[in-house]
Amino acid sequence: MSVPDYMQCAEDHQTLLVVVQPIGIVPEESFFRIYKRISAVSQVNVRDSQRVLYIRYRHHYPPENNEWGDFQTHRKVVGLITITDCSSAKDWPQTFEKFHLQKEMYGSTLYDSRLFVFGLQGEIAEQPRTDVAFYPSYDECETVEKRIEDFIESLFIVLESKRLDRATDKSGDKIPLLCVPFEKKDFVGLDTDSRHYKKRCQGRMRKHVGDLCLQAGMLQDSLVHYHMAVELLRSVNDFLWLGAALEGLCSASVIYHYPGGTGGKAGTRRAQGGSLSAEAGNRHRPGALTSNGINADTSAEIGRAKNCLSPEDIIDKYKEAISYYSKYKNAGVIELEACVKAVRVLAIQKRSMEASEFLQNAVYINLRQLSEEEKIQRYSILSELYECIGFHRKSAFFKRVAAMQCVAPSIPEPGWRACYKLLLETLPGYSLSLDPKDFSKGTHRGWAAVQMRLLHELVYASRRMGNPALSVRHLSFLLQTMLDFLSDQEKKDVTQSLESYTAKCPGTMEYITLPDGLKLPPVPFTKLPIVRSVKLLNLPTSLRPHKVKSLLGQNMSTKSPFIYSPIIAHSRSEERNKKIDFQWVQGDVCEVQLMVYNPMPFELRVENMGLLTAGVEFESLPAALSLPAESGLYPVTLVGVPQTTGQITINGYHTSVFGVFSDCLLDNLPGVKTNGCTVEVIPALPRLQISTSLPRSAHTLQPSSGDEISTNVSVQLYNGETQQLIIKLENIGTEPLEKLEVTAKTVNTKEKLYGDFLSWNLEDTLSQFPLRPGKIATFTVNIKVKLDFSCQENLLQDLNDDGISVSGLPLSSPFRQVVKPRVETKPINPPEGSKAGDFSHVKTLEAILNFKYSGGPGHVEGYYRNLSLGLHVEVEPSVFFTRVSTLPATSTRQCHLLLDVFNSTEHELTISAKNNEDLILHAGECQRMAIQVDKFNFESFPESPADGTQFANAKQLEEERQQFSLILIYPSLKREGEASVEGVLNQLVLEHLQLAPLQWGDPFYDSWFGSSVCLGSLTKHLTEVLLFK
Amino acid sequence: MAVCIAVIAKENYPLYIRSVPTENELKFHYTVHTSLDVVDEKISAMGKALVDQRELYLGLLYPTEDYKVYGYVTNSKVKFVMVVDSSNTALRDNEIRSMFRKLHNSYTDIMCNPFYNPGDRIHSKAFDNMVTSMMMQVC
Repeated sequence: MSVPDYMQCAEDHQTLLVVVQPIGIVPEESFFRIYKRISAVSQVNVRDSQRVLYIRYRHHYPPENNEWGDFQTHRKVVGLITITDCSSAKDWPQTFEKFHLQKEMYGSTLYDSRLFVFGLQGEIAEQPRTDVAFYPSYDECETVEKRIEDFIESLFIVLESKRLDRATDKSGDKIPLLCVPFEKKDFVGLDTDSRHYKKRCQGRMRKHVGDLCLQAGMLQDSLVHYHMAVELLRSVNDFLWLGAALEGLCSASVIYHYPGGTGGKAGTRRAQGGSLSAEAGNRHRPGALTSNGINADTSAEIGRAKNCLSPEDIIDKYKEAISYYSKYKNAGVIELEACVKAVRVLAIQKRSMEASEFLQNAVYINLRQLSEEEKIQRYSILSELYECIGFHRKSAFFKRVAAMQCVAPSIPEPGWRACYKLLLETLPGYSLSLDPKDFSKGTHRGWAAVQMRLLHELVYASRRMGNPALSVRHLSFLLQTMLDFLSDQEKKDVTQSLESYTAKCPGTMEYITLPDGLKLPPVPFTKLPIVRSVKLLNLPTSLRPHKVKSLLGQNMSTKSPFIYSPIIAHSRSEERNKKIDFQWVQGDVCEVQLMVYNPMPFELRVENMGLLTAGVEFESLPAALSLPAESGLYPVTLVGVPQTTGQITINGYHTSVFGVFSDCLLDNLPGVKTNGCTVEVIPALPRLQISTSLPRSAHTLQPSSGDEISTNVSVQLYNGETQQLIIKLENIGTEPLEKLEVTAKTVNTKEKLYGDFLSWNLEDTLSQFPLRPGKIATFTVNIKVKLDFSCQENLLQDLNDDGISVSGLPLSSPFRQVVKPRVETKPINPPEGSKAGDFSHVKTLEAILNFKYSGGPGHVEGYYRNLSLGLHVEVEPSVFFTRVSTLPATSTRQCHLLLDVFNSTEHELTISAKNNEDLILHAGECQRMAIQVDKFNFESFPESPADGTQFANAKQLEEERQQFSLILIYPSLKREGEASVEGVLNQLVLEHLQLAPLQWGDPFYDSWFGSSVCLGSLTKHLTEVLLFK
Repeated sequence: MAVCIAVIAKENYPLYIRSVPTENELKFHYTVHTSLDVVDEKISAMGKALVDQRELYLGLLYPTEDYKVYGYVTNSKVKFVMVVDSSNTALRDNEIRSMFRKLHNSYTDIMCNPFYNPGDRIHSKAFDNMVTSMMMQVC
């Protein structure tokens, strides 16, 4: 006997073995349909007795196993059912012949046989025969079950007669020696008359009768016989048969203790008719001996409880039996099967440790050279048994070995499919699930080395199976979950093979469903690259939407009436985590910044990286990036355009790495910092682009309010000059521009400024509104620079020295004294010491023009945008009034103002004043000019001349200003400006310009002038004295 | 003598595993991994016994053709598994016990380290040295 039946269990000892086989050509499908129906009749209540017969059907049984039938009768084929397909009567004799041949194969052991003929009709079919049944077709065979029952009954009759025959053998008759095939030659020439031999014969026969009793459903009888057999065989040291007797004892006890069965599949099959059989079994057992009291053994009646082994004893006896079997090399299969049976019993008893010992023993039982298929079967069954006793890891180990065996190099046609299937079954044993979500929580904890090996094998098996999608999925899983455990070289190898697989079949985000229903979830590469933070970015300043503040203030209403409340503060801070205080605008490009890093030891190419969003229709604009090996944190900006309005949530991002597409959701990413992922998208607004007539400036303004300036322009002007700035407003958005407001703000002013710096007329521009997309409107701003024209002190010194003695005082007005120190502290001022620098001293003026604009649906919602234009004006000095004095004019209502004018430019200059002749001044030249001015009422003149706003009468102010203004014309440059004396008028001069409250005569006027001269020279003397000191 | 020493966390994942013939490391991984079945079984069987009287030493887990696998479990269910060459018959049960005790002491030292996170892999030089010494001892 060489082929072990790993499916055997202890209950099989009570079954009758029936072989069902096809002869001739029978379609496999039809055969198994009939086989299924036949095998459904697995237990039969025999006629009037309460005994139950159990039948074990096999469609294949090696005849050499049959030869062990005397040793254990359940191994004996007692019934044969053949199924045949016979369409014409002509074939019938031939078919019948075949049936007989088949019978001969198991001939010595058969009790009875049946032939089921399908398809034959007519004369032959109508002959009533007991051993042949005719059915017109596979579909019309209702009586099959009935036939089988009859057949089993006939088997029972034979069995019962054999049992009675053997059991009633009197010791006087010569008892034949039963033996197993390999023993036959051992007994040649043995003294058959010795006591020893006789005892041996008796013992073996007892054991045989025990087997028959067990099969015939007489459990108690069989126990008695087995006990007797054990005693007899022990005394003659017939170990093999002693083992068999012990095993029989165990089997009978197991059947008694565990009516539910011990075998996995067999148990379930029995459970179908379970209630009936258990009930029947219970009823019959106590009365088994009396109800069918043939050969009633009184000792059995008394010692019923004693005869049956206790659960502990069963194991001991099994151990003993196995140890006896192990003495015989030829009984390896018996020993192996006994081990398997014992393990099944132990599994029911939940004694895993002992079961594992039995299994360990079974592993070492060396059968003859096994075929590959048998090896696979053996490993699978070992795995199954280990699973039974709860040793999942061991089970997985053996399953994996079985899987490897399926594709052993010695097999000509490796079964990759079977290998893959078995490998999948080992996953739970290695606590590995194929769902990457189970690995996202913190660091992976498990048997990485073992798991990695398994995954590699899965990849390889699925590839050889010809399912590249599957191998891509497994390989991605390996890369994603085992990244921390892969060495640099392994990372390289894995990615290389992944890339070669994805070239044929790109990895997707879809579930892969295996034929057996297992679903493989997608594996997003959340670690390639690793994302550390996700930050939604505000729009650039010029595009940021602002809400028009309503009177009540919308923010106010949502806030709590309390200034501070800890409870609300808490919830608010939580809310802030999720919500962002800026808005995105429909139709405008929005940005999200990710900080990523590459954990791989080589450059990582990420393609098609884009955002995953919800809530708003979002057009994602994917990016491709390439991260250097083991990079540090690397910023990546992903962009997209929201197409509708509402709340948008950034759920995650999608990538394509090594040809695998992944959707990575932020919720599943551990350790990602985010400033909130939900932002409001407001309706579309127009976009304004401005371009100016002036050159762009590299000079950036640093505004105090924090506004950012989109464009800077600069212009260089002479002091007093006026220039027009033409601004082109272009609507580059898609919405009409409906509203525009312009405001200006002067920043950084350290210079005293006279008059309006910037002025404009918005009406002209607004008349072109609404501005359609793509249209341009112009807007003109006048820039007028009018700074102080007074001279610097050291320059004054120079002019004093040239000896021109005029009445008038050094410019020492209180105003000058205040201004002076501020000028000195200005950093861009050249050092006071260098005179040359003073002439070319350039002052700067800066201003910001703010354009608030709105339009389209965003305007309806009350949003606007703000665009700022920075204006940088460099003011070069034009003329200086180095000295100012007055001369009385012919009329007391008028006077002459004497001005020493210095041209500090490099150009020729024409100066014209109201009511006066033009004066031409060459570059660097200083000349005196006199202008006749009207005196005016001092009362109305402000203390500080620049403080013109206090003037009630603007018209009068303008008139007065005009007479103190000089028109400057630069003929060479074709530019002109206006210089004002306002700033240089000191207190004394002002007094002279004052309209006297009383009108004086001319003579007095002269004398006053004289004294004035005296005063001037006195001052001069005084200064000289002071200087010499 | 010991060819492989492993420390296994309560949740049955390895904290430390080292074997002497490094070229066949995976084999020992499999050996230790499957031995956990027996450890689990023994622990669950022991669960019924009084906790304070419990023997930490589990004894021989199972023999293979070439090796013997011994187990030890701490009160916090951290397991130590030692694979010993079965040809080494000089090794007595008592010696195995004392080796496990040494291992336990060394493990306790690791746990005393405030910078060690329980549940992390063990990267301790002292522990490494101790394991090395145990692997060298008799060889």
